[in-house]
Amino acid sequence: MMHQKNFAAEASQGDPDAYLRLEGVSKTYGDFEAVRSLDLAIGKGELVALLGPSGCGKTTTLRMIAGLVPTSGGRITVGETDLTAVPPHGRDMGLVFQSYALFPHMTVARNVAFGLEMRSIPRGEIDRRVKEALAMVQLDKLAERRPRELSGGQQQRVALARALVVKPSILLLDEPLSNLDAKLRDEMRTQIRDIQQQVGITTVFVTHDQVEALSMCDRIVVMRNGRVEQIGTPVDVYERPATPFVASFVGRTIRLSGTANGDGAIDIGGDVIRSAAGLAPGPAEIMVRPHRIEVDWTGQAKTKDDVNRLSGVLCRITFVGDVIQYHVGIGDAEVIAEASTTGNQQLPAAGTPVTLSWRVEDTMAFGSGQ
Amino acid sequence: MSVAATFASPSSKAPSTASLAVMLLLPIALVNAVGFIIPVLNLARMSFNEALPGGGIGEALTLANWQSLVSDGFYLGLVVNSIGVSLLITLITLVLSYPIALYLHRSSGRWRTFLTVLVISPLLTSAVVRTYGWIAILSDQGPVVQTIAALGFTPPRLMFNLTGVIVGLSEILMPYMILALLAGFGRLDPRVEEAARTLGATPFRTFARVILPLTLPGIALGCLLCFVLSISSFITPKLMGGGRVFLLATEIYDQAIVTLNWPLAATLSMLVLIIFGAALGAYSRVLRAID
Ligand SMILES: Nc1ncnc2c1ncn2[C@@H]1O[C@H](COP(=O)(O)OP(=O)(O)OP(=O)(O)O)[C@@H](O)[C@H]1O
Ligand SMILES: [Mg+2]
Repeated sequence: MMHQKNFAAEASQGDPDAYLRLEGVSKTYGDFEAVRSLDLAIGKGELVALLGPSGCGKTTTLRMIAGLVPTSGGRITVGETDLTAVPPHGRDMGLVFQSYALFPHMTVARNVAFGLEMRSIPRGEIDRRVKEALAMVQLDKLAERRPRELSGGQQQRVALARALVVKPSILLLDEPLSNLDAKLRDEMRTQIRDIQQQVGITTVFVTHDQVEALSMCDRIVVMRNGRVEQIGTPVDVYERPATPFVASFVGRTIRLSGTANGDGAIDIGGDVIRSAAGLAPGPAEIMVRPHRIEVDWTGQAKTKDDVNRLSGVLCRITFVGDVIQYHVGIGDAEVIAEASTTGNQQLPAAGTPVTLSWRVEDTMAFGSGQ
Repeated sequence: MSVAATFASPSSKAPSTASLAVMLLLPIALVNAVGFIIPVLNLARMSFNEALPGGGIGEALTLANWQSLVSDGFYLGLVVNSIGVSLLITLITLVLSYPIALYLHRSSGRWRTFLTVLVISPLLTSAVVRTYGWIAILSDQGPVVQTIAALGFTPPRLMFNLTGVIVGLSEILMPYMILALLAGFGRLDPRVEEAARTLGATPFRTFARVILPLTLPGIALGCLLCFVLSISSFITPKLMGGGRVFLLATEIYDQAIVTLNWPLAATLSMLVLIIFGAALGAYSRVLRAID
């Protein structure tokens, strides 16, 4: 692979347009390092996702940006201003909590007005801006309701309106969609993206849902154990993952282990797989996206230079609706290949010999050092 | 089939919800009737009986007891004084307890358990013992007065007067206030405070606009409890007041035990009950206003 250097370091130094900047930010609880020397540079108006498994430090990072948790080291700047020691109320950031955290004793309108009141804006302007903000999230009809009289999705939109109405310099979203059902989540995804584009606000979006990150964001920061694994556009992260972790966390993969022989070929129990990555000789791992694998039952497929082929035996079939998953045994390993359903296909029986093939450029290979 | 048959008529034997409720409520209703309602009715009737010299209770019905309450300036003063002192004690207890309750609400783990035990532990000692403790500390020979005197100031009298009663009762009521506040802090979510902070509220405005309103139910409950306990408290005012502090509860005791005027004691007791009712009314109005 070509993108195997440290993305984090590159992003923080090279980008002169960066607006929100984290330099070597870390957080330790006792002797546990929740966030380790994080470097991040986010451009003005950019929507960046922090993506990673549970407990990897996403929320901690977001709360450090908001000033709700003190950093254990490093610097946080917005524009030219160093915010590291500024208390949360002086940071001018809008934060939408995973639990929404609306003020239960205030109506929707009062919730949204709160930030404006704290900025001592004249009453008339507050009323006007609250109306606008509620209209933007389509809640103008519910202005006089209390938070407990709202559905989860409505509460989430109030939280969004409350954060946006003060026109903060940065919007921080902590898994704002995780409490919603699938359909509402889709709607809100589009709505958040639209509003973000419309207002042009620099946004950090925490999620552990890769689809959310891929579909909404300009760039994705993949985190693991408090460290950045890769920073890149959705296409970068999906097509050119920097580490096996990124490859398996973003999108689904099948995984095979073998030995690299040093000239681009990897030996897997006798079969040879080629990849574009120049791996040093030694143990190696191969990953392929299941839907990039072609399944051939005839045994007649032509051998081509730019295609990898493996033969195996069908173990099991899983029908998932849109696609059929073929579980294929190759040596000791079992891999999954996907084919879209056509409606009237004949499903082969378990034990049928099968040939899997995929293009060399779809082969992601990693050496043992990663 | 046999399974279906067993489930076919379960309702015929089960008691109806209404009779179940009656059965469940019966024990407490009985206890309350014997231990509370009948004695209170008895008191109410006694307050309309004539007081005979030497502690007797006349059969004839009269309004004399109630009239003397209204016409005698002493009793009117007693009522105003008792309510005023109880409100003051409630306020002092609230101000002293609120920060502790807030801290306790935010602490966690073992530290919280330890602090909770510390808060509750005074309740494990009797009020009499604690009152004598205060007497030892605050009396003229006690460390506080002696220290003030040694520093060259005129030593104030801290015991056997209203100051002593207020100090003692406030301390004795603090655990109740703290527990009531904690019980009412349920709506206080740290995330909500953080939301206020990120929206630009300083710590002080966060307190005024978010924390305080959200803890009002706890404050109302704690104040009701402490007011009622304080106006009906007897041992502490009796021991720490040195006979100079006249409050409703001590007067009831004096009338019943010393003067042997039971009808007047009954009348004063009914008055305290009426004040309780008013306090309860005020509490529910406050709760409705908060929501
Ligand atoms: N106050 C704290 N004290 C000690 N450890 C903490 C504290 N807060 C967070 N941690 C630890 O720091 C790590 C990162 O937590 P964080 O909340 O940032 O995770 P996350 O990436 O947001 O996970 P999730 O997706 O589950 O929300 C976790 O392992 C967590 O246990
Ligand atoms: Mg989190």
